[in-house]
Amino acid sequence: MTEAGYSEPVSVDEVVTLLAADDEAKCVAGGASLVAMLNARLVEPSRLISLRHVEELQKIELAEDGWLRIGALVQHCDVAIAAELTEGNQVLSQAAGLIANPVIRDMGTIGGSVGHFDPAADYPVALAALGAEFEIAGANGRRSIPASEFFIDWYETALAPGDLITCIRVPPPPAGSAGVYEKLAKVKGDMGIAMVAVVMAMEGDAVSHLAVSVGGCGPTPIRLSDAEQALIGGRIDEAAIQNLGDKLSAASDPVDDVRASAAYRKILIPRLVARAIGQAKTKLGDGS
Amino acid sequence: MSSGETISLKLNGEVREATAGPTTTLLEVIREQLGLTGAKKGCNQGVCGACTVLIDGKLARACLSLAVNSVGREITTNEGLTEDGEPSPLQQSFIDNGAVQCGFCTSGMIVSSHHLLQDNPSPSVDEVRDGLSGNVCRCSGYKKIIDAVRNVAGG
Repeated sequence: MTEAGYSEPVSVDEVVTLLAADDEAKCVAGGASLVAMLNARLVEPSRLISLRHVEELQKIELAEDGWLRIGALVQHCDVAIAAELTEGNQVLSQAAGLIANPVIRDMGTIGGSVGHFDPAADYPVALAALGAEFEIAGANGRRSIPASEFFIDWYETALAPGDLITCIRVPPPPAGSAGVYEKLAKVKGDMGIAMVAVVMAMEGDAVSHLAVSVGGCGPTPIRLSDAEQALIGGRIDEAAIQNLGDKLSAASDPVDDVRASAAYRKILIPRLVARAIGQAKTKLGDGS
Repeated sequence: MSSGETISLKLNGEVREATAGPTTTLLEVIREQLGLTGAKKGCNQGVCGACTVLIDGKLARACLSLAVNSVGREITTNEGLTEDGEPSPLQQSFIDNGAVQCGFCTSGMIVSSHHLLQDNPSPSVDEVRDGLSGNVCRCSGYKKIIDAVRNVAGG
């Protein structure tokens, strides 16, 4: 094998040019997934493109349209404490704080995690519930892809060869909303058996916003927009929550793996959904 | 791997020169070229924690860090946590509490514990467990490791 090349570009344009020139090149963000794959010789890129000096990718900022732009290189430890994530958007900081262990949270980046897209990863579930979008720079300029179209299949996203994720765009949280991220894992730091992200708001007794997504139970995060919409404007009682949980379970496509069986996950989903919605109601001051 | 270009690393407060190709890990450089063998190569997959170091004050797996990508950053290993050549209070506490069995995980445990204690000087048992959840002790000697972290003199 010939030795790989190495570049440290300082702008997104330079990265895109480097990627266009060499279709075997790979970008290095935190390295947590890519270097593990290099060590195992699962990938042998012809060039490594370090993103560490690309200033634009490092920051969290509020854009003029009110959406939050979280740079692809922002680390999990910083997402976990980001003051810019308020109300329902805190579901993202909660998810970041539960990724793996303190060392991986200090190394891994949000862009690296969603680009790698391990279906048991935490961010995709939370980002699906938030209706986040992914800004991508490629040979033909920049575009934004919603979470519902970005995650396609096991380890497969809408990223094309030569694409770079520049930032994760998070919409402003619904007024008065609360976010809850629930993850069940065998031990702290392990991948989740199943995860649920809830973003919810209420006006009096009635639900005014509801987004529920389920992760770790199929190739992509599961959301049932019609079932969510059907609950808007009404009280969300135990029966309604059970019904939504059952529908999400029916829509899931989990696998048997070392952590749990598919059948166990199917049983687990309605229970995690009920727990997460219950916590959201408590946060919103609804004890009913 | 010794092919590649000459790089300078800021390691434990000193500038050290080494040779690294694009895929050479920081762990390979600090162990095999710079002679600091505290950080261990366990899984080489970022799972076991035996190679944990600090990079710019944040925790990092040296096995998942590329050497060339670490140039210009402040790298601290367990060796660099000593104070005037003597064990730090945390390192001494590992000795005093017998928190070492085979010793393979110890450097990584101490670096993670050091980072935890910076943010939280008197952690509860659960907080220590959380803080060390990325470090595996295959002797399963966790009880004494937790004691060592909680019993640091002056901590």
